[in-house]
Formats: sequence, structure tokens, C-alpha cells
Amino acid sequence: MTKKIAFWIFLLGTISSSVVFLAATWDTQRQVAVLSNADKLSDRVVAGKRAFQKYNCNDCHTILGFGAYYAPDLTRVFQRIGEEGIRFRIKDPEKAFANSWRKMPDLRVTDAETADMIEFFRWVTEINNNDWPPQDSRKRLSRGEQAMVASVGVTPGAAVFQSKGCMNCHSLHGTGGTFGPALDTVGRRLSVERIEHYVRDPKGVDPGAMMPPQKELTDRELEEVAKFLSSLK
Amino acid sequence: MEYRSQKIAYWYFAAALPLFALQILLGLYLAFSYTWTVPQSIVDAFSFATARAMHTNLLVLWMLLGFMGGTYYIVPEETKSEIYSEKLAWFQLIALLATGVAALVGFFFGWTQGRPLLEIPSPLDFVVVVGALIFLFNVAMTMIKANRWTAIQGTLLGGLVFLALLYLFGMPFYKNLVIDWYYWWWVIHLWVEGAWELVTAAIFAFILMKITGVERQVVEKWLYVEIGLFLFTGIAGTGHHYYWIGAPRYWLWIGGIFSALEPLPILLMLLDTMNHVKERKAKILNPLTWTYAVGCAIYHMIGAGVFGFLHTLPQINYYTHGSQVTVSHGHLAFFGAYALLNLMTFYYAMPKLKGIEVYDDSRGKYGFWVMSIAMMLMGLFFGVAGVLQSYVERAMGMGFMTAQSYMRLWMGAVFFVGLAFLGGLLTTVTDLLTIRPAKARV
Repeated sequence: MTKKIAFWIFLLGTISSSVVFLAATWDTQRQVAVLSNADKLSDRVVAGKRAFQKYNCNDCHTILGFGAYYAPDLTRVFQRIGEEGIRFRIKDPEKAFANSWRKMPDLRVTDAETADMIEFFRWVTEINNNDWPPQDSRKRLSRGEQAMVASVGVTPGAAVFQSKGCMNCHSLHGTGGTFGPALDTVGRRLSVERIEHYVRDPKGVDPGAMMPPQKELTDRELEEVAKFLSSLK
Repeated sequence: MEYRSQKIAYWYFAAALPLFALQILLGLYLAFSYTWTVPQSIVDAFSFATARAMHTNLLVLWMLLGFMGGTYYIVPEETKSEIYSEKLAWFQLIALLATGVAALVGFFFGWTQGRPLLEIPSPLDFVVVVGALIFLFNVAMTMIKANRWTAIQGTLLGGLVFLALLYLFGMPFYKNLVIDWYYWWWVIHLWVEGAWELVTAAIFAFILMKITGVERQVVEKWLYVEIGLFLFTGIAGTGHHYYWIGAPRYWLWIGGIFSALEPLPILLMLLDTMNHVKERKAKILNPLTWTYAVGCAIYHMIGAGVFGFLHTLPQINYYTHGSQVTVSHGHLAFFGAYALLNLMTFYYAMPKLKGIEVYDDSRGKYGFWVMSIAMMLMGLFFGVAGVLQSYVERAMGMGFMTAQSYMRLWMGAVFFVGLAFLGGLLTTVTDLLTIRPAKARV
């Protein structure tokens, strides 16, 4: 091989790869509006993104899997913990992470910025990104959830418990979050009515409670989940 | 040293070394935070995020200083002329350092653009661009005035122009997060798997040619093939970052296929280096410089080639994306491809700039081995933590902190090998800054 042939290898390699890349970039620009629901990209969502950058959230958390790996991924955070869950953690991290061995800084985010960030996360949750991350996929139950459902039987209450994000904080049989207490034997301590009351208004039952009130559950869902939990003895 | 203006390179290197040490100190704080509890009051004042911004920006800063110094060392010898303007080279060094320090202090007070690796706020971005333009102007003018073009010069200049152009894509505020990440990778990926590879391939070829005495024609021929393959696989290979961001599905194919080929140019570079060793025409005067060159080629292959390949296919990446597996690859690849290359350049050029032909490497070789082994272990520990995370958090669907508690042991191990790495680095930094001639061997 001569130096001239080597030069042509360089030129052709670079040009062919660039052509593929730029053509795909042009097409991506065309398709991204649909995939990311750009029509829902309101001013508040954009303001939320600015706040998200202002506080450098992305140097602890990942979003769409990018950033630092110190704290949970935020792609589906809205689906996982909901509006109240997000607000509680941003506004009062000291309390929210009192039991955690890893802390989140209190960045004194204003109420308006928090509300904007929630809108931002609400929009991000809907991005069509080939169903990543796997742990938040709605299409496939994670194996931990499958094991849980198999071991307790598929009651409507178990389904509510599993699909409404209770396990982000609470655990059953060692699967789930460590944020709140494990609920393996909660039925020994609390009755159906007591659980219903607690889930609706934690502070009303126990002023020191840290759990956010679950306003999004319907009465029927609340009844089923309480029945399910009280059966755990 | 053959040209007076090469001397400026020394100050670029000397500035880079303490910044490297500072980068590692901050890295230790990060590893500590992963393993042990940092109290709320300290987290509020100096968060993981701030330390991480500093850790990564210091990396970019010291490496760019190394590349620029390397360029100022090589260009006079390649063009057989003095640098166009020494004053501009000085001005640009001071401007870059001042911007870097301002950015680091700014991070501490929350002045940031808030995008990972591109945290430098917009006003400072413009200073960076002006500095880069001055640098390019200075280098290009030297080459144009001398008019003795070589493949090494062309690759170097091409890489530097590409590097500066790509930086521009990281500057605007993007409203859409998907588009934001799309162009973020134009800076990050196309830097490390494009522009930086060009710059370092040119520097590597130059030093290899000088220390082995292999003919320029042979070295430059392989240089063309290598950079051709780097760009062929690297440009479209950017697609391996577009699997899960909300880009069309065909990126799984483009990214998967092109990036699976990315180890090829690195393998070629390794074989090519081994070949030059066999056919060397000059006596190796400084074994340590040589150890760095071979070490760099091997480490580059392991860290960037092998560890990159392991999680680049979409089927695997679905589980490992955004986990410590990425961190493992990142550390091994940056150390292998860029830190060792810079240190090799420093060991090649700094003694010469002080007029030392054969230097005493009794301290330096400990530095090399301690750093190389510590980093390899660190990469493996991050890797174990990453596989645990992928399994526990992603496949099993258990909570983030549950997975973190399984990984805690390994992140603690990272902290301790990090301490060893710092020891090796401080030895190396001291050695380079106080390098002395070898005692005459009879």
C-alpha cells in the first residue's frame, strides 16, 4: 500500500461516514417533534428546563440516562413519584432524605421554579425513547414486581400498590424502596380504615409523618390497596 | 529543543500538571460521597454536583493545555521554523488559565450553565472561543508561513479546527431536551472519538517517529489509515448515544454497527506501534518515554476499545446505559487514550526543553506503574459496581438506593485505589517538574 492509497482510505472513510451521519441528522430533526411531543413544549416546560440547569441537577442525577450517576434517573420521575413526591424532595430534602445515607442538597429552589420543573418532568416522561429505562417501563413488569405479584396473588389492591409507585418508597419481601418503612407485616399493626385514613392524610394521623398525601388515588383504588395491605400479616 | 519558541510548551505542561492533581483530589471526594454519608450541612455547601463539575472540567482543561503545549512543541520541528507569535502563545495560556480558574470558582458559587461537562457559563464560553481562535491563528500562521506541509501537520491542524468548531454546538440554550442531548454529543463524542483522536494520533506519530527513527513515509502512511478509520467509525458511531433519547429507531442500527467497528483503528494503532518497535532504527535513549508510548497504545485498546465495545450494542446498552459501567469505561478510556498520551508527551519534551538528553527515570517509573495499576483496578471496581447496578436496578427493578447499597463496597474500593493513584500521580508530577539528568552509565 502506498501513501497515496492510504490518503484515499482516509478521505473516503471520512466522507462516507459524514454523509450517513448528516443525512440521519437531517431526518432526526424532522422526526423529533413527534417523538418528543414538541407541541406540548410550553413556556413553563422551558422555564422548568432552565431551572433544572440553573441548579445543576444534572451533575448528580441522570436524565435520559446522561449526567452523573449519583442519584436516580429523572426520565420517568413524574410517573414514578408524581407531582407531590417531586415537590417534597426538592423543597425539603433534609426531611425527605433523613433516613437515607445519601443526601440531597437544599438549593433553596423557589415555589415557582419547583412548579416549572414539575411541568418539565411531566413533559420528559412522555418522550418516546424506545422504552428506556427498563425499571420504569410500563410494558414490562420488572422481575421484582413479578415475584411480588406471584407471591401475594394478583388482587386488585396488589395491582394498585404496584402500579401507583408505592414501591418507590416502601418495600415488600425486600423489593422496593428504602425511603419509607417496609410493609411486609403492616396488617398486624393497622386496620383497613386506619390505612385508608393514613394514605389520604398522613399528617392527620401522625403529625411527624413524611409521606406525601396520595390525592391522586380514586376512592375505589384506595379501598382496594388498604384491603391488600391489611392482609399482610 | 531545536527552536527557541518551543520553550513555551514547557509552561503549558507545567500548568497542566497541578490541575491534574487537583482533578484527582476532587475525584476522591466523589468516591467518598458514593460510599460514606456526607452530612447535610456539607452537602448544602459543597454538593456532589459542584465537585463533579470541577472534576470533569479540570480534566478537559489540563488535557487541552497538554495538547496545546504538545502542538507548540511539535509545530516548530515539523515546519522547521519558529512559532508565528510567542506573545500570542503566552497571552492565550494566561487567558485559558484565567478562564479555567474563574469557571472553577464560579461553580462553587453556583455559576453554571448546568449541563454536564459543559457547565462553563456562556460569557466564559466566549472567552474560550476567542482563546481557541488565537491558538488556531497562531498555529495555522506558523504552518502557512513555513509552507512545508506534512501529514502530521495537516492532521494536527485539522483536528484542532474540528475541535474548535464542535465546541460551538455546545453553547446555545436548547428548549427541547432531546435536541439538547443530540447536539451535546456533537461536542462530547465527536471530541473524544473524533477531534481529540486526530490531535493525539498526530502527536503520537511524531513522537514515535522521533524515538524509533522509523521513516516518515511509513509513519505517515499508517497515520492516514488510522485517522481514516477513526473518523469512519467515530462520526456515524455517535449514534450509540442516540438509542434512548427520543431519536428515531434507526439509530440503534447506525450506532450499533459503526461503533462496533470503533476498536479497529485502535487495534491498528497498537499493531503499528509494535511493528515500529521491531523495526526501530534508533537506540531507545529514554526507556520510560518508551514505556509510556507502549503503555498508552495498550491501555487505549483496553479502555476505549474493549470496554467501549462491551456495552455499545443496544441489546446490552439498554441495561447498562447511565450506570457505573459507563463510568468504568470513561475512566479507563480517558486515562489510556489521553492521560497517558499527555504524560508521554511531557516525558518526551520536558527533559529536552531543559536540555537533558537522557533523564533519570528512577522515580518516574514508579509513578507510571502505580498509576496504571491503580487505574486498572479502579476501572474493574467501577465495572463490578456497574454490573450490579444494571442487574439489581434495571433487570430486577429494585429501587435505586437498594442497588446503591449493593455497590457500596466496590465504590469504597474505588476510593482506596484512588488514594494509590494520587500517590503515583504526585510522584510523577514531582518527577516531571524536577527532572534531572541520568547518572552517566559506564
